[in-house]
Amino acid sequence: MPVEAPEITVRPLSDVDIDAITRIDEKLTGRYRPDFWEERVAYYIRRDPESSRVAELGGEVVGFMLGDMRGGEFGLEETSGWIERFGVDPAARGKGIGRKLFDALSEYFKASGAHTLRTFVDTGQTETATFLKAVGFGPSALTALEQKLG
Amino acid sequence: MKVETTQIPKKYEDAIAHWVKHNFQDLPLLGKYWDKYFPQDDAFCLCAKLDLSTSHVQEVGEHKGQPKVEDPSALTEDAARHLLTIIRAQASTEFGSIQQHQVTIERSPSDQDKFWVLRVMAEELRHGYQMFHMLTSRNWEKHSGGVKTEDMVEDVLTMETGTHVLEAFNLPYDSFVDNVVFSGVIDRVGKYQLTMQKVCAYRPFAQSMPPMLREEAFHLATGVVPMRRWLEAAAQGDAFITPEQIQQSLNKWIPRGLEMFGDERGGDTNLKLGFKDMKNREAQSKYWDEVAKLLHDLNLRFLRARYPSKSPETIERMLAALLRDRSSADGTSYDEILKMPHREFFRRRGEPAFRMVSVEGDPIADVEEYIRHLARVLPQAYLASRDMAQYRDLIRKVAAREVTPEQAAMKSPMMKRKAESVCPCSKGVRWVDVDGGAEKLPQVATNEGTPGAPTFHAP
Repeated sequence: MPVEAPEITVRPLSDVDIDAITRIDEKLTGRYRPDFWEERVAYYIRRDPESSRVAELGGEVVGFMLGDMRGGEFGLEETSGWIERFGVDPAARGKGIGRKLFDALSEYFKASGAHTLRTFVDTGQTETATFLKAVGFGPSALTALEQKLG
Repeated sequence: MKVETTQIPKKYEDAIAHWVKHNFQDLPLLGKYWDKYFPQDDAFCLCAKLDLSTSHVQEVGEHKGQPKVEDPSALTEDAARHLLTIIRAQASTEFGSIQQHQVTIERSPSDQDKFWVLRVMAEELRHGYQMFHMLTSRNWEKHSGGVKTEDMVEDVLTMETGTHVLEAFNLPYDSFVDNVVFSGVIDRVGKYQLTMQKVCAYRPFAQSMPPMLREEAFHLATGVVPMRRWLEAAAQGDAFITPEQIQQSLNKWIPRGLEMFGDERGGDTNLKLGFKDMKNREAQSKYWDEVAKLLHDLNLRFLRARYPSKSPETIERMLAALLRDRSSADGTSYDEILKMPHREFFRRRGEPAFRMVSVEGDPIADVEEYIRHLARVLPQAYLASRDMAQYRDLIRKVAAREVTPEQAAMKSPMMKRKAESVCPCSKGVRWVDVDGGAEKLPQVATNEGTPGAPTFHAP
């Protein structure tokens, strides 16, 4: 008898997701950073819990995508949807979780009046860059610049 | 979500401003430091918010598929009365929680904790304002048993801790631990109620829910994040806020949270009328599971802080063993681990009302032994309260079969609404001087996007 794969569900970010996100980040980076994620999750929830999403597989959080709607920065007057942090549990990769998170978020931003999605990517993170390209991100006229101090 | 903001008539705004003067003295402080603690966030707006994308079609109930109702006059008499009760109860909770928070907010151990709670209080004020918009934007007087609109508003504004509709809002806070645990536990019930009411057949009420829910999500974080930090500190040896204190506060609030869903056997009317999409037991059960998960995560936070070199998997196994064996492991005692109080523990309403059950679910036959058990597992400061004295007297009467549990439930709380206004210098809506001396909401300015809406920030 065929076994039905558990369904992936995407829902808005909640306070009870702090631990799961911390665990996914720990698996991805090798660093346990509960303080950092407590602060960040509280921030995104405060901004708008629907602008950030988590994906559940069999009732467990296996991915997250945190974002925000805002404008007025970097000379960008229009309000854009910003995708700022995301991660998928390595054990749950290959199931289209990142894509589902992205679709949910971009749909929400569009419904909320955004015309553009924006993000920054570290060119050293090829996997992240590949994912962003696959979901439709392309080069922007806005270029990230930096200068080392001291 | 596309949101429209609106205001209530000036005399009701003035009444709220007066209430703020007596019950929420720290509100101006929030405006002063908003940018420091909430940079980038939109200015707080004391206004009613309505989600314009709310469905026009009834989603549940016996009129499923029919258009949602826009005016109480289109509801049946029973439905209108039922909904009016919900709106008034909701309004009572919003103003009630501010009164509770205000008493102990000054004791917050950190400025961030304090300003997070202040923001919660301000948003609860907005939610109360929202409910007043529900009461004042349409005429409910036909369904209120002859009570005029301004008296309905005034009735809510004259309530104080001890006279509110739901018991969770009648318990005074004992310390700042209560500010935090209340936000994590009781506001979570609010999240469930608001979520259920998103489908409400009365569209203005349904439209009110998404903006309130968006704000409520941060209220829960205001409870959870400090608890996580306190447990981290406790694991590392801080003796001021201990897991035992947090557990005692959980034992105080979780039973009241369970009762906020109503009797486990009820909820059919809400479902039938299309006001909510779940019955009481189902909603309460989901809430229970969510709080249990929260405590599980808090325990992991505690153990990982205590044993930083142990792997997450080892910590999970350790937690499971501590809970299973009810013993100590590696220097951590069972008492340091947070546990859900049993569903029947310390209940006054619903199916298990006035059963004598320990916090871990063991039946206790002797009433005096049960009272001593309560004294061990509830916060010390809470024991010396009017609420506990009344509960003790009632449980003794139930044990002596002088009253039935049902009769005891009806008598709780026994604190009566004061006949006169609680405010010695004001008598509420009708007495506020609209033309001259009315108090103004602090630092009121005009929000750019909302002509006339009061905010904290200058445009």
